[in-house]
Amino acid sequence: MCSRKRNSEPVKNWQRNGILLAALLAFGAARMPYEAALGKQLRAERLTPPPLEIGTRDRIGQTSSAVALGGLRTLVATFLNLRAFTFFQDQRWDDVAETFDTIVDLAPRTRYYWETGSWHSSYNAASYYLENSKLPALRRREAWRAAICRGRAFLERGIRNNPDDWSLLANLGFLLSDTNKFPAFRDANETFMAAADAYRRSADTGKALPYVRRSQLYSLARVEGKEQEALALARSLYAVRKNRTPTLLILLFVLEANENPAEDVTQRAIEIFETPQKAYDALSVHWHRTRERFPVFGVAAALKSLETTLVISPEKSIFNQPLQAPAGPDDWFGK
Amino acid sequence: MSTTTAISAKGSHLGRIWVIARHAFTQLVRMKVFYFLAVFAVIAIVSNFFDLPQHEGPETMGINVLRSIKSWSLGTMTLFSVVLSIVATALLLPKDVEDRTLYTILAKPVPRLDYLAGKLLGVLLLVFVSLALMDGLMTVVLQIRSTMVLGEQLAMAQAQHWPQDAIESMRLETALHGPSWSLQGAVFAVFLRASVMAALSLLISTFSTSTLFTTIISFMVYFIGHFQADARDAYLQAGQAGQGMIGRMGSLLVSLVLPDFQNFNVIDAVIEGQTMPLVALAKLTLVGLYYAAFFTLASWYVFAEKEF
Repeated sequence: MCSRKRNSEPVKNWQRNGILLAALLAFGAARMPYEAALGKQLRAERLTPPPLEIGTRDRIGQTSSAVALGGLRTLVATFLNLRAFTFFQDQRWDDVAETFDTIVDLAPRTRYYWETGSWHSSYNAASYYLENSKLPALRRREAWRAAICRGRAFLERGIRNNPDDWSLLANLGFLLSDTNKFPAFRDANETFMAAADAYRRSADTGKALPYVRRSQLYSLARVEGKEQEALALARSLYAVRKNRTPTLLILLFVLEANENPAEDVTQRAIEIFETPQKAYDALSVHWHRTRERFPVFGVAAALKSLETTLVISPEKSIFNQPLQAPAGPDDWFGK
Repeated sequence: MSTTTAISAKGSHLGRIWVIARHAFTQLVRMKVFYFLAVFAVIAIVSNFFDLPQHEGPETMGINVLRSIKSWSLGTMTLFSVVLSIVATALLLPKDVEDRTLYTILAKPVPRLDYLAGKLLGVLLLVFVSLALMDGLMTVVLQIRSTMVLGEQLAMAQAQHWPQDAIESMRLETALHGPSWSLQGAVFAVFLRASVMAALSLLISTFSTSTLFTTIISFMVYFIGHFQADARDAYLQAGQAGQGMIGRMGSLLVSLVLPDFQNFNVIDAVIEGQTMPLVALAKLTLVGLYYAAFFTLASWYVFAEKEF
């Protein structure tokens, strides 16, 4: 009805289709380098997520897979996060871990998922095996250790995916220096070093809060052989008044005492803490923090001297107060 | 004024395209497509006022709710915009044939390219208006909730005597998850993807025999388009991977013929709190325009010789 009269020979159908296909291919060839470069740039700028793993597609099922592949990955992650909460309420720890593995594959840039997944494993699952399980002690102990190690590995994977995220790094430092967690790792020295390193990297991002650099010191001070490095850090932190927390003052004191055993520790304690009473109180608290494995160079000598100065009776002497035994899996699960 | 009278009254191409676009837009609105906005409104409002069961620590207080609102809203926008652009475009040509409007229009001195461009513009206008309305609602809901979250966080921080720098850091982090220009950029990326799909559906509908065929093929292309980058990478890295010739040619064919939708997935990063640079959005716009222009011209090439 609406066809036009043509003077030339009409193009046959197969010719038209051929021309269209050729144009489609030429158009594709023209855009391919641009799109490839753009894709690379967006991935480098972390604006597009890495491709979805085959295992993840299997785990989330056909429907969710289609939704995720349709450009709605974060939406599927939101749904799975709700499912993980149900698993958490039912204390199904393996399911919680598996769900979070899938979630972070769908939304690898969301800090919340990394932190929550790690927290479930290192804290909730580990506490469950510590307190509530009816398993034999030996198996509970192994499950507790495995849960903490899995939480650490999960967080480290999150850091590899988000190397500039100060909070993930700080959380790793926090986990590795936690009194109730570091005994899960075989070498305390190595663990504190790893914690200090995580805190250092977090603070070096420039986005972390000031407590992170102080936490680096708190971990580094516990590493045997790193006392000089720790002292240098303590001095630089001490130079800023805002940083002068009780723990920092104590560590400055003990690290100086380690560097110079000949110094008058009592005099130095009074200088740092301002009065003999304040020095005595702070050092007494430190003396009792046995579980944290902080160094105690010069603390005993200073306390003895301060007790004489402050005329503290032998009954009230800090040395006559019971000390907490360093706790660990042997105490928690029985030898 | 009837469509045909209006079309003949306008001399320029742009004028004709605009008249056809307005007509297509009105035609779609009369099909009550905006009803889905009510569904979106319910989703947006419900996600704001209901606290879904999830793990919340004092450090992240409320931020996850903001992320959920963005995730639900942008997810729904993506879904609606893609469905709308495919179905609306697939419907237009068959409906014009069925109503015999097409014959009336083409009997006038209206170039077929103007007709197709007008139809496409009408669909894009509809998608744009829908997205703008949804975006407006999402921004309002997000603003309300961000203010609530910030208020709760400040109260907690002050009660616990947080230092000022810690409060500021928390405030900045929460602000990242509130309404932002990046979020508007993400909505625009959703529109671009829908535009590409509309143009592609237009091309398919020019040689398809039914609306159903156009719709199904378009959805298939949409999903496969999210793998296109994988095929391209497989082709480009085939030498290293030791892929055979047939596999390599297959990857090349997929990457040349199908559009790449993976680049439009920047919306995920924005939901996660990332900032979208303007340059990235400009490059995506170029990609979208390139696709839309090519598919429209290809549609015209097929449609130009079609007998009715």
